Amino acid sequence: MKKRGIGIGCMYYGMGYGFSRPDVSSAEVEICEDGSVIVRSGEVDYGQGSDTIFCQMVAEELGIRYDTIQLITADTFATPNAGPTSASRLTYVAGNAMVKASRAIKKTLQSVAEEILGERDLLFLDEEIFSESHPERRISFRQLAKEGHFRGLPMVETAWHDITTKDVNPETGQGDAYSTYAYAAQLAEVAVDTETGEVEVLRIVAVADVGKAINPSNVEGQIEGGVAMGLGYALTEEIKEEGGYLKTRNLGEYMIPTSMDVPPIDPHIVEVPVSSGPYGAKGVGEPALIPTAPAILNAIANAIGVRVTELPANLENLHRLIREKERD
Amino acid sequence: MQRFQFYNPCSVEDALNFLAEQGERSKIIAGGTDLIPGLRLEEIRPDFVLNIPEINPFSGIKEIDHSFWIGPTTTFTEMVESNLLSCSFPALVRSAASVGGPQIRNRGTIGGNIANASPAADVLPALLAHGGELELQSKRNGKRIIPLAEAILSPYKTCFRSDEILTGIILKKLEPGTRSAFEKLGRRKAMARARMNLTLLLRLNHREEVSELRIVPGAVMPVAKRMDRTERMLLGKKPEPLLIEAASKTLAEEMVEVTGARWSTEYKIPVLKNIFKRMMKQLLTV
Amino acid sequence: MSKEPGKTLLKMRVNGKAVEVMVNPTWTLLRVLREELRLTGTKKGCEQGDCGVCTVIMDGRTVNACLVLALQTDSKEIETIEGLGTADQLHPLQKSFIKHGAVQCGFCTPGMLLSAKALLEKNADPTLEEIKRGISGNLCRCTGFAKIIKAIQNVHR
Repeated sequence: MKKRGIGIGCMYYGMGYGFSRPDVSSAEVEICEDGSVIVRSGEVDYGQGSDTIFCQMVAEELGIRYDTIQLITADTFATPNAGPTSASRLTYVAGNAMVKASRAIKKTLQSVAEEILGERDLLFLDEEIFSESHPERRISFRQLAKEGHFRGLPMVETAWHDITTKDVNPETGQGDAYSTYAYAAQLAEVAVDTETGEVEVLRIVAVADVGKAINPSNVEGQIEGGVAMGLGYALTEEIKEEGGYLKTRNLGEYMIPTSMDVPPIDPHIVEVPVSSGPYGAKGVGEPALIPTAPAILNAIANAIGVRVTELPANLENLHRLIREKERD
Repeated sequence: MQRFQFYNPCSVEDALNFLAEQGERSKIIAGGTDLIPGLRLEEIRPDFVLNIPEINPFSGIKEIDHSFWIGPTTTFTEMVESNLLSCSFPALVRSAASVGGPQIRNRGTIGGNIANASPAADVLPALLAHGGELELQSKRNGKRIIPLAEAILSPYKTCFRSDEILTGIILKKLEPGTRSAFEKLGRRKAMARARMNLTLLLRLNHREEVSELRIVPGAVMPVAKRMDRTERMLLGKKPEPLLIEAASKTLAEEMVEVTGARWSTEYKIPVLKNIFKRMMKQLLTV
Repeated sequence: MSKEPGKTLLKMRVNGKAVEVMVNPTWTLLRVLREELRLTGTKKGCEQGDCGVCTVIMDGRTVNACLVLALQTDSKEIETIEGLGTADQLHPLQKSFIKHGAVQCGFCTPGMLLSAKALLEKNADPTLEEIKRGISGNLCRCTGFAKIIKAIQNVHR
């Protein structure tokens, strides 16, 4: 018999390492003589899209195209030190460093442009710098870069951003754990086969408050990936160890969801800007995953009145709980 | 992988000659989806690996009088894409379609599924339910035909001699009016070993009594077999719900008689019963 | 070709070109592609056929290159990701993957693209279920498959 249920999971989650653990990032923005822009960051993009949003942020500040920026990352020879890609921190910490470095170099460029154009109400837009009140007074970004170099001005700026918190009182638990928090909620609809213990997740609606989605498509990608990971965590993934030896050693034994297991995912982005984030943005890497298992387990409870308290809620574990309930 | 020599025979005769000499130290490779992981883990250490997919007479699906002949190197994909098989043995084709994923099905073969004799096989138990026969050949003894039911001795062990190759699988056509079903229970919907599978073949006579019933559960016993005590309970009778319920209990008992009580039994007993009842209900609602 | 003791000459076709390479009988097709032919677009993952990152197309069908012995590929046609398109001339599937944000870490992508290609060649207008089944042998941990499926559905739009 297949029984349907709906469940909701919600969460809030600290960005970065928190608890006074060092949490710093850096960025270097260099304007070359020919107007090309080089950005350096120690941070690693392993597919989540930090490279893209770093370029977007620098481009936003300088009014240039984001896809022409030369980005160098994660090279101990060439890039300044930065923290790891973890703790949902890159947009929030490294992004801030990008904005800081961009604004610093923009200040230099602005001062040169003011001198050349004789105006102070300048806008950086579409590869040009021009006066808002007298738009005929304009100079190209490329020309401005050259002018900056001719004047012997520093055309590279490095910025650091630090979100290390003060920590909480170990007795009272009060204080400054994290710099900010992200919020997320998910709804799962499941169909539980009480005869076999199979759980089919029919759909997931996933909402994340990311402050500001610098790249909405990439935020959706994170949400979708996180939900799939949460699905596996809830239903099939299990590390088995016996006497110190790993029994689940490869992908044949450690079962993650396949394309046929992941249900339609309906991602939604909420933007409540956080003042400490770049453009109001905070992170989504982990928030994407956290509400999924609770939502699924709540949906199972709603469907069949069984509370799962140990993961994974796989065939045998769930069926045992179902049988125990039937006996009572 | 322990070093081996690779031999690519150009004909059946060539292969048989080779096995006559080196059979004891050889392993036959078709799709390689079971063999290669075994070689890599050094669970298997042959001196020779004999490659058979290129031997033409080993592939194909043919209708011969009242039977079908399936070549041992027929892949699961080829089984699924075969109109002949899909029409005549839909449950068998379902079992082939349930194996792994597309890449595995494009290489894995029916012969390999038999010869590997895994307790968790999908096609092997379905074949048993369909009463398959195996054609084996060797240089020394020529051709012999054995029932599939006698071929699997224990997990991963067949009765094939070291100088023999499986050269064909023969399936008698099913009587008209035979209904069949195959269900597989896995931990996920693709790329999953069977937690349990069940093949049923059922035929009713004009009085709505069971005139034929074949039940083969897979992945629940070391060696899959027909559950004849359960089958006999229903033969000649009308398959009423109460009788099916009783038969499901016997089915579970027959299974436990073979396996004994193990950690998984508390799951397998109720679930096997449930799947059996569900499939019987579906077969009767045709 | 110089004789190397214990090695056999393998002749096959890779991405439309005839190839000759001396191989050890224990080598898989994956090993030959990556290490002998330096075609590293095909990835090494679980090496036991469970993940699909080593997917290539052999004689028109997708296979896990880790589960094919090199010497089994004699005279066969192999297509790897390198043969799908170039940076200047991307295959429509590659364009669609980029457009729909279907690439995150990219490790599953070569195998995923080839599975999608093979699927569309057999079935030009697959249903959602057929697409899911067509890529069911390719694991992805980053995307939840959502944008990958969208990219395949919309390749001609």
